Amino acid sequence: MLKIAVYGKGGIGKSTTVSNMAAAMADKGLQVMQIGCDPKADSTILLRGNEKLTTILDLVRTKQDQFTLDEMVRLGYKNIVCAEAGGPTPGLGCAGRGIIAALTKLAEKGAYEKYQPDVVLYDVLGDVVCGGFTMPMRPGYADYVVVVTSGENMSIYAAANIATAVQQFQNRNYAKFAGLVLNRRNVKDETAKVQQLADDIESKIIGSIDRSDLIQSAEELGKTVVEAFPEAPLTQQYRNTGRSNCDQL
Amino acid sequence: MKHTASIISRYTADISGVCSALYELGGMTVMHDAGGYGSLYATHDEPRWYDQDSLIFVSGLTETQAILGDDQKFLEDTIQAAQRLKPRFIALTGSPIPMVIGTDFPALALEVAQATDIPTFGFNTDGMHPYTTGIDQALTAIATRFCTEALPKTPNLTVNLLGVTPLDFSVNGTVSALTESLAAHGITVHSNWAMYNDLDALKKASQAHVNLVVTTGGLGVAKLLQQRFKMPYVVGMPYGPALMAQAVTAIQTADQTGVNQSILNCTKGADTYFIGETVTTMSLATAYQQATGQGSRVICPVDAQSGLLTENELTAHDEDDIRDCLKTATTIVADPLYQPICPASARFVPLPHEAFSGRIYHDTMPNLVTDFAPFLQSLV
Repeated sequence: MLKIAVYGKGGIGKSTTVSNMAAAMADKGLQVMQIGCDPKADSTILLRGNEKLTTILDLVRTKQDQFTLDEMVRLGYKNIVCAEAGGPTPGLGCAGRGIIAALTKLAEKGAYEKYQPDVVLYDVLGDVVCGGFTMPMRPGYADYVVVVTSGENMSIYAAANIATAVQQFQNRNYAKFAGLVLNRRNVKDETAKVQQLADDIESKIIGSIDRSDLIQSAEELGKTVVEAFPEAPLTQQYRNTGRSNCDQL
Repeated sequence: MKHTASIISRYTADISGVCSALYELGGMTVMHDAGGYGSLYATHDEPRWYDQDSLIFVSGLTETQAILGDDQKFLEDTIQAAQRLKPRFIALTGSPIPMVIGTDFPALALEVAQATDIPTFGFNTDGMHPYTTGIDQALTAIATRFCTEALPKTPNLTVNLLGVTPLDFSVNGTVSALTESLAAHGITVHSNWAMYNDLDALKKASQAHVNLVVTTGGLGVAKLLQQRFKMPYVVGMPYGPALMAQAVTAIQTADQTGVNQSILNCTKGADTYFIGETVTTMSLATAYQQATGQGSRVICPVDAQSGLLTENELTAHDEDDIRDCLKTATTIVADPLYQPICPASARFVPLPHEAFSGRIYHDTMPNLVTDFAPFLQSLV
């Protein structure tokens, strides 16, 4: 089982990238599980059409522990197992602690044993802002961390922060840094800037996604690009990125 | 109201369970907390505190450290103390604040172990689970780390007592009396998890023939030792001569067949209620039934899915639920701090329990191994 936690600056396109990677991996016949670790709870929306999914923390909120694994997940495109951690009441509680509680609950209910995924993708909110958001990179969860970034300065800054955090946790047996996915925003010298980042953190670019209107078009259809436009060159880029990740297997 | 106790006490928490279980084993236990829990443990939960030394510390977690997620001081203090005191092992325990900020105790334990070369355990205790889960975590960790070798069996029939702490048995002679009583029936206690024994005794647990699980805190170890060494276990605390005789037979049967046994066999009765820890209280109800022929109801407020309960036992955790359960009771056997929520019409038989009322009734806690007959007399 390959378990990857995907981080990156807020709004950089993590959920879209992760969902397309998940779809590409599923097309290859892999059993994929995607877990959204964000109170917005929209990580898997492109994978499950209009199928409603109650977040794990909403289940905890309303039913304490009296709910089943089946209530926590939905099977989406090509049987991708979709789950959303959810979050506390907006403005209250602790989102980071919520991620811990949700992932613990998912494990307690036997999600990994039942679905036996080949690949688990944790789509994590933004930066590693507190202890809760390191949960997906702790032992027992992700083996590798991938960061999605563009060539924008703030995105590169966030990616560098995340890489530093991963490095700091090496003596705790946390996940290893696997590389960067360049999600292009067409800024000047974008490839060079991200390659410089990769060099600085002694890592590499493991995937590159062009900026394209197809992403928006697919979202309007409620689908990933991989599902909506399987023959598009952009789909091939997602497939290549997914394959680069799977090379860790 | 759910999860609220406005009248009665609450059972002590998992942190005390860990500390209590490890108290006599020569390790060093550090509670990561601002300080309040250390006082609670020392004052209320640990009757050995003033009479027996143990390396128990509180980290003195500050608000700033919590907000900044600064683990460094905790790590440095722990490492420094361990290097000076050289404990056999180190245990790091959490409390509510580290739980809320997501402190990763197994990861911190790894760092401490790397720095000190001393086996270190990190327990994700949070003060929100009952003491029984702490005992279970602590003893299971000890067995996992130190009981790795299948040693030759003792020539005579021996047992390990599993789940023994003052939180359930106080320090009033109950455990010694149990050991003597078993010896009188030809069964030697090989190791005691974990009172009156050190770590070396526990390391040799695989030499014993059978494990005797006397509280749910010992169930995890029993399952682990069975998995590793095919050691069968018997569940029950033998109160009274009849249940002791049954326990002896069960231990012999387990030894001969390798099949786990239970001496818990209390059937449902309408009027008499026992409240307390699952194994000890079900044992008491069983002994009561053997002596009187009467069934009873058992309420197990701290049962953490032990798998031991039948449809006859109730798992009410909250004050209101327990009060509802007791509405029709005519006799109630429980810690005295339960009495205010018991119906006035019911006869109340006090049975102080250290894990519930701390030191308040410490001096009157009965030794039910030696004094079962007078206790029974007070009951009937």
